Amino acid sequence: MSFLEIDNVNVGFGPVGSRTEVLENINLSVKEKEFVAVIGFSGSGKSTLMNLLAGLQLPDQGEVRINGEVKSKPGPDRGIMFQNYSLLPWLSVFENIELAVKAVFPKMSKSELEEHIMRYIGMVKLTPARDKKPHELSGGMRQRVSLARTLSLKPEVLLLDEPLSALDALTRSELQDEILKIWDEDKRTVVMITNDVDEAVLMADRIIPLTMSPAATLSDDFVVNMPRPRDRHTLNDHPEFMRLKSEITSYMMGINQESKEGTKDKLVPMPKVTPKDFDPPSAAPKFSHLQEKSMSPTSGS
Amino acid sequence: MKLLSKIKYPLLKLIDISGFKVLDPPVRLMYGEEPEKQVRDILRYMLLPIVFVLACVVVWNVAGPKHKTKSGEVPTPSKVWTAAQDSTRFKNRENEKQAAFLVEGEVREQELARVKAELLKLEESAANLKAQSAEVTLKGQSEMDAKILPVKTRLDELKATLKLAKAARKEELVALADKVSQGSASGESLIALVEQDAAEYEKEKARLKSINDELDAIRDNPPAAVKKAQLDSNKIADEVQHYKKRIDYLTTGNRSMKVESAKEKELTAAAALKTSATGADALKQAKAVVSNRKKATSTLEQEYPRAATIYWQTWRSVATVFVGFVLAAAVAIPLGIMCGLNRIVMACLTPIISIFRPVSPVVWLLIFQIVIGAFFPDPDEHPLFRFMNHDNNPLAFLKTNPAMIFSACTVAMCALWPALVNTALGVSAIDKDHLNVAKVLRLGFWSRLFKIIIPSSLPLMFAGLRISLGVGWMVLIAAEALSSSDGLGKFVWDEYQNGSSQSFANIILACFVVGIIGFALDRFMIVLQRMVSFDDGSSTA
Repeated sequence: MSFLEIDNVNVGFGPVGSRTEVLENINLSVKEKEFVAVIGFSGSGKSTLMNLLAGLQLPDQGEVRINGEVKSKPGPDRGIMFQNYSLLPWLSVFENIELAVKAVFPKMSKSELEEHIMRYIGMVKLTPARDKKPHELSGGMRQRVSLARTLSLKPEVLLLDEPLSALDALTRSELQDEILKIWDEDKRTVVMITNDVDEAVLMADRIIPLTMSPAATLSDDFVVNMPRPRDRHTLNDHPEFMRLKSEITSYMMGINQESKEGTKDKLVPMPKVTPKDFDPPSAAPKFSHLQEKSMSPTSGS
Repeated sequence: MKLLSKIKYPLLKLIDISGFKVLDPPVRLMYGEEPEKQVRDILRYMLLPIVFVLACVVVWNVAGPKHKTKSGEVPTPSKVWTAAQDSTRFKNRENEKQAAFLVEGEVREQELARVKAELLKLEESAANLKAQSAEVTLKGQSEMDAKILPVKTRLDELKATLKLAKAARKEELVALADKVSQGSASGESLIALVEQDAAEYEKEKARLKSINDELDAIRDNPPAAVKKAQLDSNKIADEVQHYKKRIDYLTTGNRSMKVESAKEKELTAAAALKTSATGADALKQAKAVVSNRKKATSTLEQEYPRAATIYWQTWRSVATVFVGFVLAAAVAIPLGIMCGLNRIVMACLTPIISIFRPVSPVVWLLIFQIVIGAFFPDPDEHPLFRFMNHDNNPLAFLKTNPAMIFSACTVAMCALWPALVNTALGVSAIDKDHLNVAKVLRLGFWSRLFKIIIPSSLPLMFAGLRISLGVGWMVLIAAEALSSSDGLGKFVWDEYQNGSSQSFANIILACFVVGIIGFALDRFMIVLQRMVSFDDGSSTA
């Protein structure tokens, strides 16, 4: 029984005649406590997919269900972690999390609240920085705060929207390990969007490629059959890791090639427009007075 | 030493927040941080500007007196400084007179004795000074006489020779005229002689005038010592006058004394009433009792009729601009938030903002005088002014009146727009991610407003308020001049109108006061703005 479901969803923009589909025919089902990675090129509609899951955007067709319940509004049951942290810059680390926790658990007593917040700050190892403002923190630390805030809402589904793509490689691997560790200790359903194949293979149970836009759709998944915990130091020697990585990479490159060829061979019909100035004199009687003027010097010579 | 090194960074941060970046190098130099660089910075950004400003003052000092105007020559910096000192002395004297007017009982007697003793000393030194100045004046006079004498003899000699020449010419004319009448000379020759005579006369007049001018120049420029003696004796006479006025306020002009004398008169009248012989007399005495009783109670509430000093005018201007600014903020911030939140509201308000923003403060002032003036048909009895000017109100010294309200409303009307537009901009430019956070947390309208939208737009809001305060202060001075609402604007206008010898210097003094207060207000707003700014420049989170 799948826990999170996307059922035949279409998203697009523009008026009926010249509509552009961003996502077409999206079907996804995620089991409870499964870690799924959606991988795609930039601009292929990954963030739109994430907004759909979070409820920040509504599908034009189809529906998103969690535990069989149709979701049409954002809510704290789907904790989303944005690529650009989305921390409130005028609040400290503690206050940022406090705002979220207070909004979601209004009945919590003061001491409970503090303990709850400090637990999650501790989980991302930011206890010494609890009173720092976001601008005093590095990118990695900010994303940790964002992670702590998302986790502190105790969401049923964790949505990670390219959470690590703005970070440098070292910080990124550090945070990958931390997210995995936290997920291992407290398993919940995760959908992560990424453009990094290594990251996807390292972290996910299942990897689903998203084809190129327009009208991107999810293709067949790759199951990662590797035991956990996965050690990044020995991973490169693991035959399964190498196989998956090369398979997914070549698959993705193939999609890219196809889409490039597709656009190359595609004939774009141009609207039939003739500039007014170039109209032959006989065909444009309403401009005849202009014609005469412009013609007169020619006839004179 | 430890404490000093501890406060280094807080101190530097304070300098940064208050916007006095200039003070940064001296402080760093004090801590011995890169001395060469700091010294170079001090030279460049502190010393050179100071030299430049001093050079400007020197240019002012030199060029000012060269330009003669109807109100005298342009005052030099030292004259403006004197005007400032005079204003301060004037304020202090008003304070002393007010204290003398209000003091009662034994304290009054002690005070009276003290002031009298001081006056005695003062008069003594005034007499000394008078003797000295008489001596100096006499000496100066003889000096001047010595200078004048040769010129005067020259003048007299010239006058005598001219008189003779004139008589000779007259004789010649008469002789020729006789000849013409007898036919022995032509009429043309007579006309030529008359013309010649007129030309001679003009020449003589010019010569006399040049000598007279010389005399005037000597008389108008008495020796410096005489001038100084005159100024000193004027000054001390002024002081003596002030002491006499104070004694007046301590005796017959004193409030408690006035009340007492009215009460006494009432008692005498009452006694006279008992022994009155005729009905008419009795009526007269009874009327005297009533009028004196009335006078006693009204005098009890009387305030000292304080003259307007520049200090008081400054306070009033600051109070008016504050009221206007608060009014503007109270309207602009909610409206701006509504505009930023809702595009329909923005579309509705845009035409109104566009049309009314460019309207001149003068027009607003006149409109407010008419429209708001209608609310105060009888200002003395209006509850607002009764409350503001009540004896127990600490703000009673401002003497709130309708003109002040009109000025404040004009300030508010003109200061409204920058705050409104900036708040709307701040709210509408809120980061979409922050709104997404609010959506995910399912924040309600009010908590979204107060926890996300307002904090995020605070920096731009305060930037707008800062512009508003600057605009308000500029508008206020003009509004006060036009509406005769007491304040710096009216001070300048009154000085312009009364045209005494010190008016021009006072106007320039007011110009500096307005500038310095405007600068202080702007600094204050900068500090507030920096305190609510969360992004510290470039980084955003």
